[in-house]
Amino acid sequence: MVTSTSARKSLQTTLEVPALRKSYYARTLDDSKKGKKVAWCSNNIPGVILDAMDVTAVFLENYATVIASKRLASAFCAAGERVGFSQDVCGYARMLMGYILAPDEVPEAPYGGLAKPDFLLVNSYSCDSRLGWFAAMSRVLNIPLHVHDASHQPDGAEYTERELRSLIAFLEEQTGTKFDPDQVRHRQNLSRQTSDILFDINELRKAIPCPVGSADMFTANWPAMYLVGTKECDDFYRRFRAEVEERIAKGIGVVPEEKFRLMWSGIPFWYDMSLINYVENFGGVVVIEGFYRARERRRPPQDDDPIREMALSSTRQRTWPSGISDSIDDLLDAVKEYKVDGVILSFNPSCRLLYVSQTELQKSLEDRGIPTLGLECDMADERTYSEGQVKTRMDAFVERLLARS
Amino acid sequence: MITAGIDIGSSTSKAAILEDNQILSYSIIPTGAESADSAQRAMDEALRETNHLSLEDMGWVIATGYGRVIVPFANETVTEISCHARGANWLFPSVRTVLDMGGQDCKAIRCDTRGKLLNFVMNDKCAAGTGRFLEVMAQVMELPLEDIGKLSLQAREEIRINSTCTVFGKSEVASLIRQGRDKQDILAGLHAAILNRVYTLLRKVGIEPDFAITGGIAKNIGVVQRLEERAGLNALLPEEPQIVGALGAALFAQEKLSM
Repeated sequence: MVTSTSARKSLQTTLEVPALRKSYYARTLDDSKKGKKVAWCSNNIPGVILDAMDVTAVFLENYATVIASKRLASAFCAAGERVGFSQDVCGYARMLMGYILAPDEVPEAPYGGLAKPDFLLVNSYSCDSRLGWFAAMSRVLNIPLHVHDASHQPDGAEYTERELRSLIAFLEEQTGTKFDPDQVRHRQNLSRQTSDILFDINELRKAIPCPVGSADMFTANWPAMYLVGTKECDDFYRRFRAEVEERIAKGIGVVPEEKFRLMWSGIPFWYDMSLINYVENFGGVVVIEGFYRARERRRPPQDDDPIREMALSSTRQRTWPSGISDSIDDLLDAVKEYKVDGVILSFNPSCRLLYVSQTELQKSLEDRGIPTLGLECDMADERTYSEGQVKTRMDAFVERLLARS
Repeated sequence: MITAGIDIGSSTSKAAILEDNQILSYSIIPTGAESADSAQRAMDEALRETNHLSLEDMGWVIATGYGRVIVPFANETVTEISCHARGANWLFPSVRTVLDMGGQDCKAIRCDTRGKLLNFVMNDKCAAGTGRFLEVMAQVMELPLEDIGKLSLQAREEIRINSTCTVFGKSEVASLIRQGRDKQDILAGLHAAILNRVYTLLRKVGIEPDFAITGGIAKNIGVVQRLEERAGLNALLPEEPQIVGALGAALFAQEKLSM
C-alpha cells in the first residue's frame, strides 16, 4: 500500500514539466482529430525523424509511467492479466494491453486517453518484451508494425544507417510524404544543443551541497526524452540550467545540511516517487541516477547527411557503455565523481533485463566496499510494493551509512 | 541511568528495561490487532517485573520492530536490524554475524566490533523462512510449536518439501499427512526447506564468526542444529533470543543519554 505519491521538487523549473506533458498529450489527440498520422512508439524510436515527417509520436512506456504515477497501474495491470497476460510480463505492457483489450474494465485513462494509432514502431534492441508486446498490439489492432534495429558495435554505423533509412521508407509508405533531410537537420542541431545542456546540468550536480537531486531529475528528464529536437525542449533546459547555476552560486542544496549522498540505479517506483525524498529526512540526497544521466558532451557533427550523422552519433551513444563490464565501470566512475556514499538499486521483477544486470552491479559495488540497498518492487504495479517493508529497509540503510561516519 | 527498548514485532511485542548497563526486566507478549496497545501492555509488564519503576522513570525509550512508529511513549525509533546487531553484540561481544528469525521476516546482519551495522539482507514479500511458516505447519500437523524442532531431529527420512511458500507448503503437508507419512519425516523436510532459504540470506551477507541466532526461531533446535551443520559453525544462542531487538533498543537509548 502507498500513502504518498509524487516527489517533492527543489527547482521551480521542474514544476513546469506536468504542464508540458499535459499539453503534449493534448496535442497528440488534437493531431489525430486533424487527420495526422499517429505512431505508437517504444522508447528509442528517433522522434526527430517522425516529427520531420509530420507523424505524431506517442511513446507508450511514458504513458505507462503516467498511469503508474497517478496510482492507476494496478487496475490497468489487473485488466491486462484478465485478458491473458501473466504477472511476469512487463508491467508497462500489461497495463497497455489491459487498456486496449479491456477498455471497460480500466479506470478513466489520464489526459483523455491515447490518440488512436495508424501504425506501430518498436526498437528491437532495448528488450525482448517490447517486441512481443508490439507484435501483440499489431495483431489485435490490425495495424502495421515496423521493427527498428540498430547496431551495438562501435563500427556498426553503416548498419544503423540502413535501419534508419528503412524506417524512413516505412514512414514514406504510411504517410505518402517524401522525406526532406532539411527538416531533420534543424531538429538534430537543437537536439545536440539540448543534450549538451543536459550534460552541463549533470556536471553541476556534482557540487556540494547538491543543487538538484533525482527527485527533480526523474521528472525533469521528460522533455529530453519526448520533446527532443524542439525549441520548447531546448528553452526548458536553458531555464533549468540557469536555476541550477543560481542555486550553486547561493549555496542552496536540496537539504540544508548534506550528510550523505546517494545514487539511484534502475527504474524508480513511479507510484511512490516520494521515496526519493525520504532520505532527505536524515540529511541525505539522491544526487544522481544510474541509468538516465547524459554521460558525455555530444561530438561535433561528422557528416553533412543528417541520417548518416544520426547513425554515427547514436551508434556512439548506444555502444558506450556496452555490456555489463562497461556498465560497472560507468557506475563506479559516477560513484567517485558524484562523491556517492551509497547506492539504492531497484529490482523490478517485471523488467527481467534490468533485474539481472542490477544483481551484478550490486555485487560489484559491495565488493568494493560501497554500501548498497536493493529494493524489489515493480516499477509500475504497486501491488508488489509494501511501504512499511521498503521504509524499514531504507531506515536500516541510512543507519548503516550514518554508522560509518 | 534507566532506559527501555520496545520491539513491536508481527507475532510478539517485547520490552526490555536497562539500568546502568544491566538488564532489570523484560517482557514478551503476543502482538494483538492494536500495536499501540500491545506496546503499552509489554511496557507495563516489564515495569511490573521491576517492582518499583514506572514509565516516568525511563530516561529514554527507543522503539523498534514493524510497529515502532506507533509506540506512543517512545522518544525515538531505530530499526530492528540495527537493534538486533547491537543487542547480540552486547550479549556476545565476539559476534560479527547475526541471523534474526522472527515471525514475519528473516534478516542476516553483519556488524562490527562495537555492534554497529555493516550490512544486512532480508527476505522479501514472502513468509517462507519465517516463524509464521513453522507456526502454520505446526497447526496443520496438530503439534505444539515448541515440539516440532526436536521431533524433526528424530526423522528416519527427510521428505523433500518442494514449496517454501506458506500457502502451497500447507497444501503439500496436508497431502503428505493424508498419504500416512511420518510427521517427523515431514518436519525434517520442512526444516530443511526453511534452512535452505535462510542459508541463502546468510551467504549473501557473508558469514563471519562468531555467529549468533536471535528471534523466536532460535528456540527451535531443529533449525539451529541444521544451520550449525550447514555453516560449519557453532551458533551463539541468547538465553532469551526473543528480546534481543528490545535489548538493542534499550542499549541505543542508553548511548543516547550518555552523549
